[in-house]
Parts: sequence; C-alpha cells; structure tokens
Amino acid sequence: MITVTGQCVAAFIFGSTVGLLVQRSRWCNTAALRDAMLFKSYRNTKALLVAMMILTLGFTGFISVGNGNPMRFDVGLNQFVGLFLFGIGMVLAGACTVSSWVKTGEGNIGALWALLFLIIGLFVSSLLWSFTYWPPAAATMTGQPNLAGLQFGFADALTLQQKTGIPAIVFGLIQFAALLALYRLILRKELVMQTARGQLNPQVARSAPEVSPAMPEPAIGVAMAGSAGASGSYQEEV
Amino acid sequence: MDLFKKTLDPIIALAIIALLDVFLFVIVGAWTVGGGETMLAGLAAKYVLGAKTLERIPFWTLVFTPTWAYWKIYISLGMGFGSFVAAVLSKEFYWRVPRHLSEWVMITIGGLLMGIGIRLSFVCNVSTFFGLTPEMNLGGYLAVSGIVAGAWVGSWIYKRVLEA
Repeated sequence: MITVTGQCVAAFIFGSTVGLLVQRSRWCNTAALRDAMLFKSYRNTKALLVAMMILTLGFTGFISVGNGNPMRFDVGLNQFVGLFLFGIGMVLAGACTVSSWVKTGEGNIGALWALLFLIIGLFVSSLLWSFTYWPPAAATMTGQPNLAGLQFGFADALTLQQKTGIPAIVFGLIQFAALLALYRLILRKELVMQTARGQLNPQVARSAPEVSPAMPEPAIGVAMAGSAGASGSYQEEV
Repeated sequence: MDLFKKTLDPIIALAIIALLDVFLFVIVGAWTVGGGETMLAGLAAKYVLGAKTLERIPFWTLVFTPTWAYWKIYISLGMGFGSFVAAVLSKEFYWRVPRHLSEWVMITIGGLLMGIGIRLSFVCNVSTFFGLTPEMNLGGYLAVSGIVAGAWVGSWIYKRVLEA
C-alpha cells in the first residue's frame, strides 16, 4: 500500500509530465470539442479518442485481474447538469481544467484569472450544498438506487464484472470498438473534406495541412495570439 | 533537444499520458483535476476566512475537509510546473494579458461556470474523459453527454459574440 507522501509524489511527477507534454503538443480538451463543432477540425479530438481507447483497455484490463482503483462514484443527473455548465464555461473561458494550469505555467494571466474564478465559483456553490437536498453528495453515496437523491445506483466495469461474472476487459473491448469506429469516422470525414478542398484547388490538396490554420481562439487565445505576434516565436494552439 | 524546438504530435503526447494514467490508476487512481481544485478552494477559503468560519459550512466538514495531504492537488500543481519548465526550455514563456474588456468578462463568466459545474457534478472534464468513461462508469456517460451539450451551447454563444 502506497503512503500518502508516496501518492502525492507520484501525483506530482505525473502532473509535471502531463504539463510538459500538453505544453509541447498544444493539446487542449476545450479545442477537442469546440473545434470539431465550430471549425470541423479534429486534431485535438483524434488525440483524445486515442487516449480514451488506450485507457479503456488499460483500466478494464487491470480491473479484470483484480487490480486498479476505480472511482467509487455516485451517479446522478447532477453529472449531466454540472458538466453541461462546465462545457459552456470552458468554451467561454477558452480553457479547461488542464489548459488553464498549462497556460498559467506559460505565463498566461487570462488562464490564471480563469483558475481564480473557477475556485471562487467552487467555493460560492459549496455554500449551497446540503446533504438533504439535490445535488446529492456523501449522504446519498450508498450505491443503492435512490430516486429522491437522483441516484441510479453504482455501475461501472468493475460492478458489471462482479454482477455478470464476465471479465471487465470484454466490456472494455466493446467500448474500444465503439471509440475506434468514431475515430475511423473522423478520419473518413477528414479525407472527404481534403478531397473536396482538392477539387476546388489541387494545390491545396497536395499541401493540405492536417489542422486548419489560424484557428481563432476564444478569450485567452486572443491575448496569446496578440502577444505571439509581438514575439514571433509562439506557436498558436490551433 | 528536438522536443523543445518543434510542436509534438498530440496523438503521441496523449498516448504517453494515457499509458502513465493507467499506471497511476493502478497505484492511486485515475487522473483528475477537479478534486484537487475543490481541495485548493477549501484550503484558500480556510486561509481567507479562518478554520472556525469554514467549519460552519457543511460541505467543508462532511464532503471535503481541507488538507494538503491530498494527492490530487499535486497533479494540478505539477501540471503548472511541468508546463512552466517546458515553456522556459522552449523559449515560449512570456506574460500574456487579455487586452479587451470582453475577454476578461468571458473568462470570468467561464471560470465561474466551470467551478459551479465541478461542484455540482463532483467531476471535471479530465475525470470525465480520462477516468470515469474508460472505467465505463454510468456517471461518465452522463458527464460526456453533458459536456458535449454544454460545449455546443458554449460554441453557439461564442460564435454570436464573435459575430457581434
């Protein structure tokens, strides 16, 4: 069993590596959703899907052999409502939880401002929490279906394995196939788009970049693009 | 080093992160950011308002008791540190300040909505995509539906703001 200090050290090493890789790759979770919807650009979406495929196989694989630490988590409509608000917020702020930390590390004051207000939002809404009223928390986290607390009961790959006796990896493979199908759909869409562009201008087709250039970045990005012009060395997130 | 000269392919970056996340899942738990940020909010409130005042708010005694001995905080701090090191080594560190009032307003509203969303759902975008959904948790599917719908609405608002 790993000690608390060990957990914190492992978390810091993991976080630092993630920060470095995300900074170098300019990957952004907000862009993975926003760019696919607004600009039909899938650079970040494809990377997200690849990660989810690896994770699905890895997590369910380890769960099958009785390893790993799945989140003991209650399920309720609060997850839908909360992430709906989060989704609007991340597009408006131009940063999600990852990119706000990564951009802050690069010296982006806008991202630091987003983080500050994220923490203020968290605290202010914590005042409204009550364990007898929705949204539910600890008191309803029993794992039993509880309609009053909008809980549908606990269900994930581990509980599926326990209830059905089928190894979790089997369910994982089904989810992997679904994610792969989505990934291939995106590749096909990109190919169609490139061909369409090529028909208009063959020159473009030959040099068609995988990513759409000069993507306007909301809020924080506007400032980044502004100062990028000044220094000339900064590569836009795309 | 080439890593600090050219932009890394995000698929390679995310594949490495995913493998590390599987390792983290085995030793402590999957990658998450919202939990660490919630704890940081509690710690900040403890220093600003004092421990006695905070004890009167049920959320900070029943759900999250502010403590620095919480591994998720260090993922967030690590991400800031790793990005700072990468930015300095690749000469991409410089202060960037939003110039227009409209940007400040959008970032402020966006930040508040993200905070409220995390508090309400007990998850963030990272635990949705990199934790719950790969664990095949029903909450993950609900969260993915929520975040996609929210991003769609956000994109619509953003487009309107751009056009205006």
